[in-house]
Amino acid sequence: MTAFLVWLESTWLSTTLRDSPNVFLYPTILAFHTLGLAFFVGISSAIALRILGVAPSLPLAPLKKFYPIMWLGFLANAVSGVLLLIIEPTRFLTMFDFYVKLLAIAGAVYCNRLLYMRRFRHPANMNPEPLPASDKLLAAVILILWGASITAGRLTAYDDANTQRQTAAGTLGVTLVTLVVGYVAFRLFGWIRSAFWGHADAATSNREAMLR
Amino acid sequence: MEPFLRYWMRWPSVEHLIYKYLWVWGVWQSLHFVGMVLLIGTVGILDMRLLGMAKELPVAALKRLLPWGVLGFAICLVTGLLFVTGIFANVAVHPYVVLTSDVFLQLKLVFILLAGLNLLAFYVTGMSRAVDGLGPGDDAPPLAKVLAGASLCFWIAVMYFARLIPTGKFQP
Repeated sequence: MTAFLVWLESTWLSTTLRDSPNVFLYPTILAFHTLGLAFFVGISSAIALRILGVAPSLPLAPLKKFYPIMWLGFLANAVSGVLLLIIEPTRFLTMFDFYVKLLAIAGAVYCNRLLYMRRFRHPANMNPEPLPASDKLLAAVILILWGASITAGRLTAYDDANTQRQTAAGTLGVTLVTLVVGYVAFRLFGWIRSAFWGHADAATSNREAMLR
Repeated sequence: MEPFLRYWMRWPSVEHLIYKYLWVWGVWQSLHFVGMVLLIGTVGILDMRLLGMAKELPVAALKRLLPWGVLGFAICLVTGLLFVTGIFANVAVHPYVVLTSDVFLQLKLVFILLAGLNLLAFYVTGMSRAVDGLGPGDDAPPLAKVLAGASLCFWIAVMYFARLIPTGKFQP
């Protein structure tokens, strides 16, 4: 393993990229990794949110057309990711967190593929409303795996395993608190709206009915 | 202006939080990415629809995704402000100096401003209301296409220059 890493680090591509005098090279590769992420994870998450019940009036079937953009984002990430790995193979391949990141991404890609096969591949399957609970579970798993991928990805920037563990725990804690507070606030908002404006809506529609 | 910015940009509470807890910076960074994903996932899809992709999608229904994009932007704004106001804890350079000397941070902010003005133009030119009526198969008006294309370019520029910020020159 070590011999392989040493060899990889001494290859032409690795040394060229690592020792390049161009200060923009590394951040530009990083930027492509970020842009790919934004489109891949962004579109995947938007589809997952739609399946979980956001924007129910939005037809699901045409979203199929965004899958090629999604996979293009994935391609950008795979290429830039391999380049980033070749620059520092020993650092990444001896890091536990890096394997967590790879596993989370592999899981998310697999689930996206599964969702595509189940819901988008055959036109007949496209709009079975309400969507089966198994689809919603799959969408939720995709969102969780993306959260894990992003967090584990950010953590690869740290060398210290203790900082990585603490940050992972902190991210999980902050995420759970945000979700609980957000859910309570959302329900409270809905309750307040129906308690106060609910009557106003009824009054408006009554008035309109009287005019007819 | 300088004393004002110097006073308000360096926020001791944020700095202390970063000194005290090893994990807060990384958590904010991950949240910044989550916000970015929500923003690009929703606004990006709308822009691509207006440009002519997946025209079967009715635009008014697609707009129902936008509150999640606004949430994403809010997450990015809050975490971004935490990065700026707390940066002294990481690099021992005053945020005012970073703001005035890092050209990539400046470019990122300029492109965020352009994206904001673009959004404003989308509303004041009446395009926002015009595209609400676009049903399956309908083509967006040319001006809406221009604004949608500009929006995509601006957000891509924001992300690109953001990644260059640590490369920028900022001397203490």
